[in-house]
Amino acid sequence: MATRRRFLAGVLAAGLMPIRGWASVGNPKYLSAARRPKGGYVLVGLRGDGALAFEVDLPARGHAAAAHPERAEAVAFARRPGTYAVVLDCSDGTVLARLEAPQGRHFYGHGTFSRDGRRLFTTENDFDGAAGVIGVWDAANGYRRLGEFASGGIGPHEIVHVPELELFAVANGGIQTHPETGREKLNLRTMRPNLTYVDGEGSVAQRVQLPDEWRLNSVRHLSVGPRGQVAFAMQWQGDAWDAPVLLGLHVLRQAPVFCEAPEAPHLAMKGYAGSVAYCGSKNWVAISSPRGGFVQRFDSASGRFLGAVGAADVCGINGSRGGMIATTGTGLVIGIEDRISARHPLSFDNHLIAL
Amino acid sequence: MIRMILLSVAVGLGLGAKSEAQSVDLGARVAAAVEGHIVPGYARFAQSARELSDVAKDQCVPSDDGLQTAFHLAFDDWVQVSHLRFGPSEADNRAFALAFWPDTRGKTPKALAGLIAKKAPAGLDVEEMMQQSIAAQGFYALEFLLFDPQIMMMGEASYRCALVRNLAEGIAIRAEAIHLEWADGYGAAMMSPAEEGPYRTAEEAAGELVKAVATGLQFTDEARLARPLGTFEKPRPKRAEARRSGRSLRHVVLSLEATGDLAVILAGETSAGQRVATGFATALSNAEIEDPVFAGVADPIGRLKVESLQQYVYGLREEAVGELVDLLGVSIGFNALDGD
Repeated sequence: MATRRRFLAGVLAAGLMPIRGWASVGNPKYLSAARRPKGGYVLVGLRGDGALAFEVDLPARGHAAAAHPERAEAVAFARRPGTYAVVLDCSDGTVLARLEAPQGRHFYGHGTFSRDGRRLFTTENDFDGAAGVIGVWDAANGYRRLGEFASGGIGPHEIVHVPELELFAVANGGIQTHPETGREKLNLRTMRPNLTYVDGEGSVAQRVQLPDEWRLNSVRHLSVGPRGQVAFAMQWQGDAWDAPVLLGLHVLRQAPVFCEAPEAPHLAMKGYAGSVAYCGSKNWVAISSPRGGFVQRFDSASGRFLGAVGAADVCGINGSRGGMIATTGTGLVIGIEDRISARHPLSFDNHLIAL
Repeated sequence: MIRMILLSVAVGLGLGAKSEAQSVDLGARVAAAVEGHIVPGYARFAQSARELSDVAKDQCVPSDDGLQTAFHLAFDDWVQVSHLRFGPSEADNRAFALAFWPDTRGKTPKALAGLIAKKAPAGLDVEEMMQQSIAAQGFYALEFLLFDPQIMMMGEASYRCALVRNLAEGIAIRAEAIHLEWADGYGAAMMSPAEEGPYRTAEEAAGELVKAVATGLQFTDEARLARPLGTFEKPRPKRAEARRSGRSLRHVVLSLEATGDLAVILAGETSAGQRVATGFATALSNAEIEDPVFAGVADPIGRLKVESLQQYVYGLREEAVGELVDLLGVSIGFNALDGD
């Protein structure tokens, strides 16, 4: 197997292999990591109607994935604090490349490609330096490590590309961890999350900080909306009943707009947003809370609360043609303001990635 | 007054536990929980909440013995179902409006003081009062009106009387609505999972119930006990739940009894069930402390007792919940517990 992998990476690098597009793997619209009922982890492709397009094995529990813009190629990241990511050919599950975090780094579970698909950017922890870094990989040449730059904060979690700006937005969650102590939070007394815009070389365009009283609100997940608007979702590190707003909308060089549901539905989120996404038309944006079992919708222009939809253990969300599609840990694929419904013998993991 | 449901169940189990059954009849366990725990619990709550409202119509002076007794009985019955946060309790935000606590920003006294100072017309009408902020409603708001030395003397007695009556009536309406929905469909839907129902499989229904045990214990640990404990350097006795009416420890005991009752029903007659029952009984015996409002958390000896109780509750969160998950083979949140 190892020789075949090396061979494949080699021919890919040489550009000799025919490019297989996403249409060749059942035309998926989304990717998600999942667990099989008897154990074992997979990366699956979902079609627009919620049906399974493909299913390929993963070596361990995944978190999120990054999809190549053209090739039917996905990078599946281990959940934090994993040190591996695998690049999969989604047509047959072949491992095209294996990303090993360099010495002193581990992955945070998210990454994104440059628009042309030539570079992959991954969020990583420089754990001895207690600093967040963005790893840069050469996706055009067998995913060789090219280098890294500072993420602009501690604990970078999700990174997204904002095409209108030719910039990346990074959610620096602010929480320091070290692999020796697992997921233990080491700096709650001093944490300062932020949203940082950087270019592909690491130059910072803007760093958005939250007000002091919200410094325990870890900025974790991002989604790109209309005209370069970035939605950022937060996870409150204090007591759930004290949680402030969980969603912000930001446009470069403007002040963020914060979106909060009324008292009871806000409390029902339990201080935790697990994913954020815009609907298909980008007219509204939603956050999901697996702890509360709700998806909440907000107007992306005004920030006004539009309502909530309940679903047990819901977390993965993303835009669909008519609205939004959501996945749950109980194996459901459901439409939010959209007629989609499917059920699979799988536990869908936190994130639903749009292709 | 405190019902020792759990201990009687635990004793009733005897020593005849079967070998660790891999073939647990999940449907039967869910049915036992719905019929033996949830529906009777809400029936008691609906009845005592109605009685509280009836008494308040007759007598709204805070010092009235009958009113205070009715308040305590209804509050007891609420605490014993307060871990069941799914389905009918969540429709129309009923549970949030029944129990707004912890109130870390003091929203409840602020909202009540605002209503009283302005003699807001909303306070004079049940329907309108039920549309107000959830902080101004339910048991914790009513507790301020009946037991807080400032709020119970504020403004005009006749206005406060109307507020007491309308809050009590709002509690009764919500309690009856939850009970009705459980008795009139939701209970059956939970016992007979269906593709179009709220639960598609017995695993999902049983998972919801195990989660209720876990959620109830978590709240007792992190809110009812951790809040007054604060830190050793800075204990926070005034953060104890319902301390004005002297109910803080009582809520811990009632909630342990209720979650223990549900856990033991779910486990059934198995050796895991015996271990779960023993675990709850041990935690409850550590709740036999003479400090009804956790005033002793500022004193080293008194603090030790509350800390020890918290340790036992934390132990139940790990062990009893773990036993149930293993025994029943259910999932209580693939994503919810991942937390990333």
